[in-house]
Amino acid sequence: MSRFKRGGSQVLITLADYEEAVLESLVEQLIDLLEGDEVRSAPDDPFARWEAEMAAPGGLDASDPVIARLFPPAYRDDPKAEQEFRRFTETAQRRTKIEQAKLVLDALLETNGGREPVVVRATDLEAWLKTITAIRLAQAVRLGIETADDVQALEELDEDEPRAVLYGMYEWLGYFLESLIDKAH
Amino acid sequence: MSSSEPATPEGGTVLAERPLETPVELVTWVTIVWDDPVNLMSYVTHVFMTYFGYSKSKATKLMLQVHNEGKAVVSSGTREAMETDVNAMHAYGLWASLEKAE
Repeated sequence: MSRFKRGGSQVLITLADYEEAVLESLVEQLIDLLEGDEVRSAPDDPFARWEAEMAAPGGLDASDPVIARLFPPAYRDDPKAEQEFRRFTETAQRRTKIEQAKLVLDALLETNGGREPVVVRATDLEAWLKTITAIRLAQAVRLGIETADDVQALEELDEDEPRAVLYGMYEWLGYFLESLIDKAH
Repeated sequence: MSSSEPATPEGGTVLAERPLETPVELVTWVTIVWDDPVNLMSYVTHVFMTYFGYSKSKATKLMLQVHNEGKAVVSSGTREAMETDVNAMHAYGLWASLEKAE
């Protein structure tokens, strides 16, 4: 319980080496997801690239339920207004999410594999909270969590079920987030 | 258009009544945050305090309203301002939308 410590304007988190490794890999996965096609399949041929951009504006796969949850609609009953909203906000929203995740990743890499505590500076707190939340949201989609009852069902899973492992990480990130908020206030 | 000239219609000119139309900027919009089973109560409260600058008691009250009633109006204003708020809520991973105030 004393793994989260307030030190001046920053929070210090002591992680086990395997915890640091898991967190690092989860943040990397989030960055990959957010960067999506933009990096991986950007063709060298400018025309092919232009064609690809036209086919999928912003390069985000909107049919991926995880992407849909991370970029929810602002207008629920007005597709035209929604399209406009996305046109003006999605690129920046996505870029900011990537930048914040990278900031978290850098802080994790500075721990030397978990040998030194993670330093969460006061100015980086929101980036941490948003990034951990984004990972939990992605995990929740994969776990099929839509209602409180779904969470209850996951609580009752046998430990050796594959989904129980993912749920364990989801819960751990919840504890992580809660501790960080608690120490920051 | 010159501002020094008096805006009096010339003789014989009849000004038509402007159609009754609410000017766009007078329509109030609201930001709604919807309940979801993922975001922690402490996190939602933190977001309302941090982004909107609400007191802890106001933020907690709104968070509980989201939790118990499924949604809550968390801010109101122009459409543009509400788009900014919704976008900020999405950045925090909250499930938010905007609509015209009832």
